[in-house]
Formats: sequence, structure tokens, C-alpha cells
Amino acid sequence: MRLQGIVLDLMDAFDALGIKPQFDLNLPEVEARHRSLSAALHPDKFAAAGPSERRMALGKAIEVNDAWRRLRDPVRRAESLLVRYGVPIGEAVEPRPSQDLLLEMMDVREELSGIRRAKDQPALARLSADMRAKETKALAQLSLGFAQAQGETVKLQSLLPALGTLRYFRRFFEELDTIEDEFLS
Amino acid sequence: MAYSEKVIDHYEHPRNVGTLDKEDANVGTGLVGAPACGDVMRLQIRVNDQGVIEDAKFKTFGCGSAIASSSLATEWIKGKSLDEAGAIKNTQIVEELNLPPVKIHCSVLAEDAIKSAIADFRAKQAAQRALARG
Repeated sequence: MRLQGIVLDLMDAFDALGIKPQFDLNLPEVEARHRSLSAALHPDKFAAAGPSERRMALGKAIEVNDAWRRLRDPVRRAESLLVRYGVPIGEAVEPRPSQDLLLEMMDVREELSGIRRAKDQPALARLSADMRAKETKALAQLSLGFAQAQGETVKLQSLLPALGTLRYFRRFFEELDTIEDEFLS
Repeated sequence: MAYSEKVIDHYEHPRNVGTLDKEDANVGTGLVGAPACGDVMRLQIRVNDQGVIEDAKFKTFGCGSAIASSSLATEWIKGKSLDEAGAIKNTQIVEELNLPPVKIHCSVLAEDAIKSAIADFRAKQAAQRALARG
């Protein structure tokens, strides 16, 4: 990651915030931790410090921000955990999605396109609620999987399809949000 | 990241978007997806009695490169025999669309979609022949 000319080899998100690596997090607690670290690393606190110390504080602040962004999103949190435990992720190494999942996603995305054309607000709300319920179930499954894996690589690897499913839900909701905004404007 | 002109052209004017009847015995359907980005791609072919792909349609929910790759794929396979279409390599798509390394998987997806559509068509034909023999 390159930001303002600083090249960062981003450290583990859990380590960056100093919290225990696990999927189920108390997010308000993690957020408070992020806030206090950010405040301690604020440039104002380093106004009198030398250039190298200021650079280090800035780099650390960026790391802390990035860690919070990764941990608050369940998909990126799962990715962070898998990488931490040495499970490779990415297009080239993850299992192909099941035909059932692809059929379902093709169906709901086409339904969404239809709703957009028809400007059908109630149908959008119904589909959204329906998909949120499914997403919640998928998240609970992933959370259970992480709890049962206890850091074992083989068990963690078996969670990749569930993670893939959640990414499909995320894409779906990204499109749904865009359409919701369109309807509102 | 900037898209190449050819990607933008396919993205803005996708060729052959649509659906063929997947129950039709002469239609093969390939449905593939990229788990890391949540893309889903459907590519369908209609094959005539001479074994030539006379029509192809696609529907892709994904990034510009995924849409462009599948749009290009349908253009290329129309008029080709199944073997010719099945020989199309993702690297040809990468070259034609100037895809950057991070988007190479989109071309892989398009190649997979062609191959699964062909496999689906051949499986259907085999099933029909088996039925006809009774």
C-alpha cells in the first residue's frame, strides 16, 4: 500500500490494534481502542518531535486506521484472520463457488435489475430484507466455523466457501445501495 | 486504475447481452464465478446441427474487465466450431483488451465460461443420444 509516498508493509490488523485475534469481536470496544490509539498518534502530539519520529507516528496512525477498517468489516476481518493463520486467499487459490450459489446470485442480481427498471421501491425493500436475513445466517455460520477451527489450518481452509458466499452478498448489497440512492434522489 | 479503450467500449456497448433458453437441447449454458471478488458470469451458446455456434449470449455481474471479457468472448465464438471455441485461451483475451495483471482472472473466468457452456451442451447431447437409444 502506498500513501503519501510512504510505503507500508501493513502489519496484522489484530496486532496493530493490540487485540486478541478472533472473528467474534466486541466492535464498540475495538472502536474505542482505535480512537484512543489514533488520539495518541495524532500529529499535534508530535509537533515538537524530530522528523523521523513524526514519520513513524504517521505511519503507525495509518496502520491503526487501516486495521480498524479491516476489522469492522466481517469479510475483511475473516480475510485478516485467514492470512494470519497462513491460509492463502485470493482468486487463484480459493475454491470455485458452487453452482447453487452462482444460480442464486444470478437470480437475485437479475431480480435487482428488474426492480431498478420498474423503480419498484417495495420490492426493493422486500428483497433487501430477504437477503439481509440470509447474510446474517451466513455470517453466523462463518463465526461458528472460526470458533470451531481454533486456528487449525485445515479447518480454516474449509471456511473459504463461506467467505466467498459473503463476498457475493457484499457485492449484491453494494448494487442494492446504489439503486436505493437512485430511488431516493 | 485506468481501463483500456477496448474495455470501455465493451463495457459501454456490451455485445450479445441476454439469455438463451437453457432448456433448449441445442443450448449450452456456462455459469462461473470469481469467489474473491463476487463476480458471476453466464455464457450461453446455441449450436446448429453442423456443430457450429450460431448464437451466443452473456450476462455478467462484475467489474468492467469481467463484462468486457465475456462480451468479447461471445463475439469471438460466434460462427466457430465447438473445438475452435474451446481452444480460445484467456491470454488472447488479455492481449486483445490490454488487461492489467490484477484483471487477468477476468479473462480466465471468460475462458472457463466458454468451456463450461461447451461441456454443458455436450453433456446434453450425450444424454439425448442415450435416451434415443433407449
